[in-house]
Amino acid sequence: MHSIKHYDHIVVGGGISGLSLSLLLGMTGNKVLLLEKGKNIGGALFRFRRNGIPFDTGFHFTGGFYKNGILNDMLTVLGIHDRIHPLVFSGPGASRFVFESEQEAFDIPVGIDNLIPVLKKRFPREHAAIDRYFDLIRRVCANTTAMNLRKTMMLADTMDEDFVSLQEVLDQLTGNELLKGFCCGYCMCYGVKPSEISFANHARVAVGLYETLARVKDGGDAFIQAFQERFKAYDIEIRCNTSIEHCIEIRDQQVRTFLLSDGEEVAAKFCIFTIHPQEVLKILPREHFSKAFRDRVDAFEPSLGFFSAHGVVEDCKPDDDFGPSIVSLYPLPNLNTLLSPEYDGPQALVMLRNKESADGKVYNVVTAFEPSFREHVAPWRDSSVGKRPKGYRDYKERRMNLIHQRFTEYYPEYKNSFKIIDAASMLTFRDYLHSPEGCAYGIKQKIGQFNLFGKLPLSNIYVAGQSAVMPGIVGAMISSFIVTRSLVGKEKYGQFIEERLAH
Amino acid sequence: MAEQDIVNLVNGVFMESFEIPGEKLVPEAKIFTDLGLDSLDIVDLVVALQKKFGVTMRDDERVRAIRTLEDIYNFIQILKQENRK
Ligand SMILES: Cc1cc2nc3c(=O)[nH]c(=O)nc-3n(C[C@H](O)[C@H](O)[C@H](O)COP(=O)(O)OP(=O)(O)OC[C@H]3O[C@@H](n4cnc5c(N)ncnc54)[C@H](O)[C@@H]3O)c2cc1C
Repeated sequence: MHSIKHYDHIVVGGGISGLSLSLLLGMTGNKVLLLEKGKNIGGALFRFRRNGIPFDTGFHFTGGFYKNGILNDMLTVLGIHDRIHPLVFSGPGASRFVFESEQEAFDIPVGIDNLIPVLKKRFPREHAAIDRYFDLIRRVCANTTAMNLRKTMMLADTMDEDFVSLQEVLDQLTGNELLKGFCCGYCMCYGVKPSEISFANHARVAVGLYETLARVKDGGDAFIQAFQERFKAYDIEIRCNTSIEHCIEIRDQQVRTFLLSDGEEVAAKFCIFTIHPQEVLKILPREHFSKAFRDRVDAFEPSLGFFSAHGVVEDCKPDDDFGPSIVSLYPLPNLNTLLSPEYDGPQALVMLRNKESADGKVYNVVTAFEPSFREHVAPWRDSSVGKRPKGYRDYKERRMNLIHQRFTEYYPEYKNSFKIIDAASMLTFRDYLHSPEGCAYGIKQKIGQFNLFGKLPLSNIYVAGQSAVMPGIVGAMISSFIVTRSLVGKEKYGQFIEERLAH
Repeated sequence: MAEQDIVNLVNGVFMESFEIPGEKLVPEAKIFTDLGLDSLDIVDLVVALQKKFGVTMRDDERVRAIRTLEDIYNFIQILKQENRK
């Protein structure tokens, strides 16, 4: 008889969700194996380098860095709070929405309390709508227990706002299309149209962005390094280039042993997937799930994707003002139109500027991205990295040129100094992040939908990740905290959180 | 929608989506004990019923109060009426 290695938990997927989960489980006394299909851990946190300059891929900014804010609390519990340095988008012009057809620009100050007067000044007849909108946002978040680590209850009952769309709420509040456009501006940060996202989920993502919008010094690298160091203290084993090939032994609706893609057979009490839900079902034996379950998972639609361009403004002097700043250009105030695959006018464009230092040099880095859909890259969907046909390269070139043109129209002072160094399409994201369509936020989290989350019908298999509760890195982390609570038990978890937050 | 249509469609969901033989689908059948669903199946049941009937169901106390097939027939009837309003 051969002896196989036993773990308490196998965590599949090494993005922010899998990293958070592995550390939480390690910290609560479990033996953890983390499997990552790619070459490195980090998932969308990963940064790539060109000409020695680091560029972000799937993590550019976030909300939640404020006192008792959910992100702050989660980082404190994980013990990496002092390793993550937020760079808040503050000051004149640091955060701006531009509605091009209306020739309107909004400078967005830090914090809802500062934003309300700005909006009221611009929309003197809409005071009631503005108050009501932010009241609703705050109320939803205050009632969402998952957004408060200090309340260790399980996800509360859904609330009315989970069953009404952002669009419906806005239509009731106001007839002003520009104000509605402003309120929908952060739809790009979860990748679902206003008519398809629930007001509650909009509120849960948007609140942090309204309160403090921030980058992080050294971007995703800061997270990856912080996790790597913490992992050592808890003996968390990482295997890159490795996944689960299939489940070997299944007894009493539990998977006892797994065959890994490196050929080894391992046993675990629990296995938690933090990857795309439809990828989970490719690994687990489908016959153990009802057709109703399979249909539910198969019916999930992809969220929005991005086409991103990465470049620099050359000849930079160290004391040049170069952000951080974020400007979003919306050709129309109607985000439902802009976020439709059929729409073929100019795309929304998010333009980020920030200074990056690497190897003793300082760079003025630009990242710009536009919405993208699988339809945009459909002709080349069967191609893989390094083997893309000419048509695809032309497509990329076209979009890069367009982005260059719009960026320099907005910033004429960079007309001769802005150079795009590389770009990424949805196919790039698909192939590097091992996500089925290359969309930015996993599945589209539509109103009235039941995501795949928590325990599955194979009862020692769990699911977390950005498609589970809420998109974005904050949502992905929240899902890992909630699953940890189920796995370690609510009492032990409550005690653990309390102790860590008291630190 | 006539009551019999609702019964047929609900039973159809149990047969197609949960592979439960038709002869077990009597109104008094208990979903958890007689039909063998467990609490984790409820979400899938809700999703399948929503799709079949074009209604929205919330995972609320009304759903949690469901015990028998007949409870489902009645619940759908009520939802249909609510939707018509
Ligand atoms: C272009 C772009 C820009 C974005 N910008 C932002 C932003 O500014 N702010 C923000 O909050 N969010 C942003 N997002 C979304 C954010 O990146 C995600 O919400 C978050 O990183 C998801 O974390 P995750 O752990 O759930 O998944 P991922 O980071 O995707 O991690 C999943 C990991 O699992 C691995 N994997 C896949 N299949 C397998 C398998 N079978 N076995 C083992 N491993 C597997 C993958 O390689 C990957 O490392 C952006 C996304 C994109 C694509």
